[in-house]
Amino acid sequence: MMRVFALCLALLPCAALAQLPVVQQVVDRHILPGFQTLAQRTEALKAASGEGCTGLETPYHDAFDAWIGVSHLRFGPTEAQDRAFAMAFWPDAKGFTPKSLSALIEDQDPAVNNPVDFAEVSVAARGLFALEYLLYDAQFSTAGEDGYRCDLIRAIAQDMDRIAVDILSDWTPHYAALLTAPGPDSRYRSDEEAAQELFKALSTGLQFTSDTRLGRPMGTFDKPRPKRAEARRSERSLRNVILSLAALRDLAALLSEGHPGTAAELDAAFDRSIALAERLEDPDFASVSTPQGRFRVEALKNSIDEIRAITATQLGPQLGVAAGFNSLDGD
Amino acid sequence: MTTRRGFLAGLAATGALPANGWAEAGAPDYLAAALFPDGSFRLAGLRASGALVFDLPLPGRGHAAAAHPVRPEAVAFARRPGRFALVIDCRTGQRIATLEALEGRHFYGHGTFSRDGRTLFTTENDYGAGRGVIGLWDAGRSYARIGEMPSGGIGPHDMVLMPDGETLAVANGGIETHPETGRTKLNLPFMEPNLTYMALDGRIEDQVTPPPGLHRNSIRHLALRGDGLLGFAMQWQGDVTTHPPLLGLHRRGMTPVFLAAPEPQQARLQGYAGSIAFSGDGSHVGITAPRGSVLHLFDVDSHAFAGAHEIEDVCGLGAGASGFFFTAGTGLTGWLGRGRPARVAQAGCQWDNHLVPVA
Repeated sequence: MMRVFALCLALLPCAALAQLPVVQQVVDRHILPGFQTLAQRTEALKAASGEGCTGLETPYHDAFDAWIGVSHLRFGPTEAQDRAFAMAFWPDAKGFTPKSLSALIEDQDPAVNNPVDFAEVSVAARGLFALEYLLYDAQFSTAGEDGYRCDLIRAIAQDMDRIAVDILSDWTPHYAALLTAPGPDSRYRSDEEAAQELFKALSTGLQFTSDTRLGRPMGTFDKPRPKRAEARRSERSLRNVILSLAALRDLAALLSEGHPGTAAELDAAFDRSIALAERLEDPDFASVSTPQGRFRVEALKNSIDEIRAITATQLGPQLGVAAGFNSLDGD
Repeated sequence: MTTRRGFLAGLAATGALPANGWAEAGAPDYLAAALFPDGSFRLAGLRASGALVFDLPLPGRGHAAAAHPVRPEAVAFARRPGRFALVIDCRTGQRIATLEALEGRHFYGHGTFSRDGRTLFTTENDYGAGRGVIGLWDAGRSYARIGEMPSGGIGPHDMVLMPDGETLAVANGGIETHPETGRTKLNLPFMEPNLTYMALDGRIEDQVTPPPGLHRNSIRHLALRGDGLLGFAMQWQGDVTTHPPLLGLHRRGMTPVFLAAPEPQQARLQGYAGSIAFSGDGSHVGITAPRGSVLHLFDVDSHAFAGAHEIEDVCGLGAGASGFFFTAGTGLTGWLGRGRPARVAQAGCQWDNHLVPVA
């Protein structure tokens, strides 16, 4: 696919972007509502954890849903101070989350009593995935003293809410203005560069869902890795894939608004992917252990890769993403 | 302008004079991978004049290459996470041997020969264990795998043989990836890049790590001056609103020095340096930044910023004459001395990172 992409870039003239409203629309209709929802949900989670440490499943899932709605927007405010990692540290190839949580619990680390101290704790022991361990993992949901564990849950919920509020306040109005009003000495020097950032969020978001959310549990045919599925403990691996596709579809629709042909193709491709995902009925991808199950997950992955191909070969050039051969490299 | 004689004098100063065998291959000065208009990925031999002396097909996208010190043989490496490396006879264009990554390993795209040309060293990922290794291959004839040793970190990328001929310098980029998850970076918050000096038997002699606050600066590419001064180019994986240095200089036994351009020029690099080289006379060091389409120069002795040159999609960089030779994704090859960059030739292909001097 890389070859096709590079050739197209070589053959197509750099289409002028000249569509300022696209970036403005993405900010107003996609980015800001997403982060507002996240902040509302983390606030609800924080409030619920203040009442007690049971019955947190619903606010946990609500916050996680909201995070997946914005988890592809990995630039600017989410990247300052490792906020995105502190909100959702995954994949965790070396098991840092259980290790860091164990250390906190064993030491009865007093950082849980002070939000400033807790903000300095390893990102692996904070955020949604740390909370998932404490709420759903057989070992961690009963580890240590109930009182300390509850303080830890509360500290994580508070910290997540602080991060969500910080991200939102960086976006409004500062980062939104950077993106929508580029200038020669600004972070984005042209509308084209701002659109490139959004295009990159779409393409890396699709890549992450395909390669990581699906690729990681799929492993290889000989060695599938169901235990590596994202958020499998709370059985939301498939849900995360579906929600991420919905969020990426929303972004793709806004970005392709001026190009009806591409918009229609993208819409149809997202339809196919989401339909395949909804038919899976395998919330934690346990089925990848069987050839039949793995085949179905692979079909879903392939369908996302088709969306990626349309994005790379059509939408990118149409948005004037004039990235060169090497500037795309990352090696 | 550059002359072959002047250029050779420059290389001689770095102890990198091409040996005789290479004359039969049309005496290329550099090797570079490229994407050709017919869609084929090829390894090309280039003269400092810009002339293409050969181009040989590769099975996939290439990255860097290693030139045998004596025989006109080049090893062309797949771009990570590739599993092939081809040994090519540059006189005939024939494949002499194929290096296939072992089960559970893939190449990172760089390698280097021992001084006598008997051993090829390759940077590889032992992805099951999430650690870097250096593969050893018998370059006698068969290119059989003869062993491996830990690289001293995660994600070993570029590697050079130090002037003593007995030490390898390895850039451990620090980023963990796994082929099952493509190019997804698995450990950014915890990455620990380093520069490792090791004996040819794998004994680690020295390790240099970036100072606190720069641990997200992945050390990727290396350049060596004849006196053992090592330049390293980095790729920033941290907060994009900060613009840390992407170039470092290190001499063994000393503290590394980090060089950055004044703002706003440093911001222009977008946290990404593609290649690094010393000038032919050794007085300057340069890095290319394809995302910023700019080449930055520094004075090696004073560490002073010595200028920025805008070149679209510039990436490959090597020593040439007294200055630099560079390639770009646009197909441009050029020369940079004391003044403005000069166009040498315009090829029909897209030059990929890197430009490897035939040494």
